[in-house]
Amino acid sequence: MQLTELFTVDSVKLQLESETKDDLLKELISLLGLDNKSEAILFKTVKRRENLGSTGIGKGIAIPHCRSLVANRLRLAYGRKPGGIDFNAIDGAPVYNFFLIVAPPLEVSNQYLPVLGKIAQFAKDPDVPDLLLALEDPNEFLNLLEEKSR
Amino acid sequence: MNEELVLMLEIQDLTSKAREIESGELGDLEKAHFGIEPATAVKALRGKAEKLMADLRPNVRGRFSQLLKRVDRAVVPVIDGTCFGCYVSIPTATAGEQNPNADLQTCETCGRFLYILV
Repeated sequence: MQLTELFTVDSVKLQLESETKDDLLKELISLLGLDNKSEAILFKTVKRRENLGSTGIGKGIAIPHCRSLVANRLRLAYGRKPGGIDFNAIDGAPVYNFFLIVAPPLEVSNQYLPVLGKIAQFAKDPDVPDLLLALEDPNEFLNLLEEKSR
Repeated sequence: MNEELVLMLEIQDLTSKAREIESGELGDLEKAHFGIEPATAVKALRGKAEKLMADLRPNVRGRFSQLLKRVDRAVVPVIDGTCFGCYVSIPTATAGEQNPNADLQTCETCGRFLYILV
């Protein structure tokens, strides 16, 4: 399974508008196209994971992730916040790039952990933060993901 | 959606995450990439789950607890009319309602609480 197969153009937003961590998580969740109640449940679950420790891994990147019954399959979204926000990241720096990973509790193919690992590896590529900031179109994000995942 | 169903889903998410961290691979990933200490995380997740349990009505809490003693997941999805706990078809009247998660429903075959994915 390629990472690019798990994103759609609709689940990529290069101009996130939120100014706070909570609002940004909600905006990111909204990219998955769930109903309102499912979004609210998912927000609580994502927040609970954040309360264990920030998913901001440094260099302007965060990877909020969780399993939830509201997801009927593995779902990913990417959002970029120009200017960045305080996300309590490990390095204390603002976060600009957000990868949301949501998986159902039961997965036949068990992709959640490998995908979480792959996204973390992708995000830690030294070139990636600058390349993400230079994106002008959601399709460019998918192309970058494909290129770096080879 | 029924509030107790939401609570049980939350409790199940918490306990599942604690179990997955304890089992190794997720714990290793969380530690390597996010600096999370697995033992601390498991304790926090289980503590929160216990607190939420207290918000369930006694009869629901009792049934939920009993189910958790014999199965990993006491709340399971219904997808395309099938209970994903026992994989038996759910009667159309249950699966096809307008607001199917407004009331607590259980599978007639396995007894698990049902969350109907629409």
